[in-house]
Amino acid sequence: MKNATSLAILSLRHLSIGMWIMVVLFLISGMVLLSSNQRPSENLQMWVFSPEHQAMYAPMIENLQLNSERNDRDIDLSLLSIAAIKSKMMSGFFGGLPTADLIEVERATVGQIFMGPSEAIGFHDLTDRLHEEGLYDQINAPSLSPWSVGGRTYGLPHDVHPVMLAYRADLTEAAGIDLTQATTWDKFFELLRPMMDDNDSDGRPDHYPLSMWVTQLDNIELLMLQGGGQLFDKDGKPTLDTDQNAELLAEIVSWCAGANPVVTDINEFSAAGHQSRVDGDAIAYLCPDWMCSIWKMHVPGIAGKMKVMPLPAFTEGGRRTSVRGGTMLGIPKTTQAFEQSWETAVELYTSPEIARELYSMVDIISPIRSLWNDPVYAEPDPFFMDQKKGLMYIELAPQIPLRTSSPYNYNAVLEIRDASTNLLNWYNAQENADDAAMIEKTKDLLRRAQRSIERQMSRNAFTGIDP
Amino acid sequence: MMFRRLRENQIVFTWAALTPFIVLFLVFMLYPLIQSAFLAVNQTYGPETRLYVGPKNFRLLIQDPVFWIAIKNTLLYTLGSLFIQLPLAFVLALVLNSRRLRGRSIYRLIFFSPQLMGLVFVSILGALAFEKRAGFVNRSLAWITNNPSLLEIDWLQTYIMPTLILISLWLYVGFNMIYFLAALQNVDDSLLEAAEIDGAGPFNRLRHVVIPSVRPVATFVVLLSMIGSLQLFELPYILLDGNGGPNNDGLTIVMYLYQNGFELGDLGYASAVGWVLALMLIGLALVQIRMVRKEEAMR
Repeated sequence: MKNATSLAILSLRHLSIGMWIMVVLFLISGMVLLSSNQRPSENLQMWVFSPEHQAMYAPMIENLQLNSERNDRDIDLSLLSIAAIKSKMMSGFFGGLPTADLIEVERATVGQIFMGPSEAIGFHDLTDRLHEEGLYDQINAPSLSPWSVGGRTYGLPHDVHPVMLAYRADLTEAAGIDLTQATTWDKFFELLRPMMDDNDSDGRPDHYPLSMWVTQLDNIELLMLQGGGQLFDKDGKPTLDTDQNAELLAEIVSWCAGANPVVTDINEFSAAGHQSRVDGDAIAYLCPDWMCSIWKMHVPGIAGKMKVMPLPAFTEGGRRTSVRGGTMLGIPKTTQAFEQSWETAVELYTSPEIARELYSMVDIISPIRSLWNDPVYAEPDPFFMDQKKGLMYIELAPQIPLRTSSPYNYNAVLEIRDASTNLLNWYNAQENADDAAMIEKTKDLLRRAQRSIERQMSRNAFTGIDP
Repeated sequence: MMFRRLRENQIVFTWAALTPFIVLFLVFMLYPLIQSAFLAVNQTYGPETRLYVGPKNFRLLIQDPVFWIAIKNTLLYTLGSLFIQLPLAFVLALVLNSRRLRGRSIYRLIFFSPQLMGLVFVSILGALAFEKRAGFVNRSLAWITNNPSLLEIDWLQTYIMPTLILISLWLYVGFNMIYFLAALQNVDDSLLEAAEIDGAGPFNRLRHVVIPSVRPVATFVVLLSMIGSLQLFELPYILLDGNGGPNNDGLTIVMYLYQNGFELGDLGYASAVGWVLALMLIGLALVQIRMVRKEEAMR
């Protein structure tokens, strides 16, 4: 052994300068790492994914720390990306390791939390607490559905996200069209048809009535929900291949179909998409409340030219809104400070100040119904031609459709996207496909989609759902 | 005297030197390998919640149409890499190896530069270039042909696999070109001169001297390219927003593995996918080794 050490020392003598530098760097970095204090913080940890949320909560949290009677721990507010929250949170849940004490979770992320057996759900069941403290009745009822499984709720809803139709009122008014008369989608397209003329002779209509396409997952889901379509029943079983879904999907796809579609595909978040909005390529957009702030930030060129109105319904008297996106605040089971976490969560999510800030900063309305009387919602919005759009969104909030919390919802929406794309391709390849043939084809495609989801769900023995 | 004693204890030193590698290999290679074999016969929700299902995962995998779509897509991409990318890289290397070409170093840098940017950045740029209406590709096509309807080509929804292959050409042609270039620079000049004296034209010199000389490197590049193609993940993942695109036209085997393991939390099914991929890679490597040996024996 001694000789081996001697050999090792002898070998070191022959190291080049570069190798020596690497050895020295290795030793220094090793010592720095060893000497750094890696003890976990004693403070309450809260993860959020939105910079706006962070900016709103920070002063509130400071106040909480000053005024709280408990005041046992300070609160560390951390801003992480949605992907980082998802991976850190799921790693913690899977390994039974501490994560944060409060985590804001976006709707697209929540499915994975409910994928396993109910006892493996990493968040505390808040149902009883919500009832005990009378919060359950204060919250806009449909806003609880994405965060509830089997009648149990695992997070406080942050928002409602009702959807209205935002449209270029400057263009419609110049054309003498009163779009508020469009109570149904049929009337909407009929009213705007004159604006589809190709006056600039570039081979395309000057304006398309609506920005939407079969490949836009969120908008397809939103429209299906508006029309009463359902991808899962209340027990979490897939219900993709219903007659109602087929009729709805056929109608939505028909907007994109043929040589002269009445909708166009404008990217919702890219610079090119924003330019299209300024150019007026589409007259109307499906607009959840949060989208307003995105436009204000990225498309100032349409300020003062837009108006909002309830969505046209699929049938006369039908639902005039839908829902898109959402966030909840959950308390992981691994927290050592449930009571303080709960107190903080309730304070943040029911605070009138935060609700006011939420609307002022990012146009999002609170799900707490008692806060809807706040004057902030009645303020005229110059971006939307001084409409009191807060009140308009609030009026629609109780009517938003119920959403499933099924972990397979995203996969089901992907299946619907595939069915829509295939239906569109099929229709465009036909010489003369009538409505009945289109419905039959839709049913066939939805049957395939249903089988695919059933196959995926049947592999999961943990959820207790027999598809 | 000291050296002799040390040499006698070489075994001790050898083991001492090997130990760090062996420890790392055991912890980060062998243990996960055994663990994944164990996981493949379980259904899991993360590493803690599991249910023994025996060979059911493999049975379901064979019956799973999405898995076969992923296999088909991955093989298509691999074929694209082998039959478009590598010949193009070789031709490019031949051109850039020519002494008559001025500014060769600049061209080499230009063709290699996508590698310097990194896969993720190239993928994002690729997505922008192939964007419907505003993308560079559609705008160029519409401008060249004076046909505005070409602006509407939705590459990332309708022509996913050709788009993936095109973007990967941009990314990897320059990279593979470097290997071929190095091989071409090692071709014995005297052989080329002798062939020329014997009256061989450029094509015959290429066929009978250059190609046999670069064959060992070409074999290595083919193997490397095949393994890389079968492991394709980042490019479609970024281009298609984490899903496989319409009808899973851009879903690859590793993407499917990722979706099952890390999106759905079923590490068991993902492990089964991983084992099938591993078997495919081992099979291909064996075929390759056999072909090389056969060729060497024939020589």
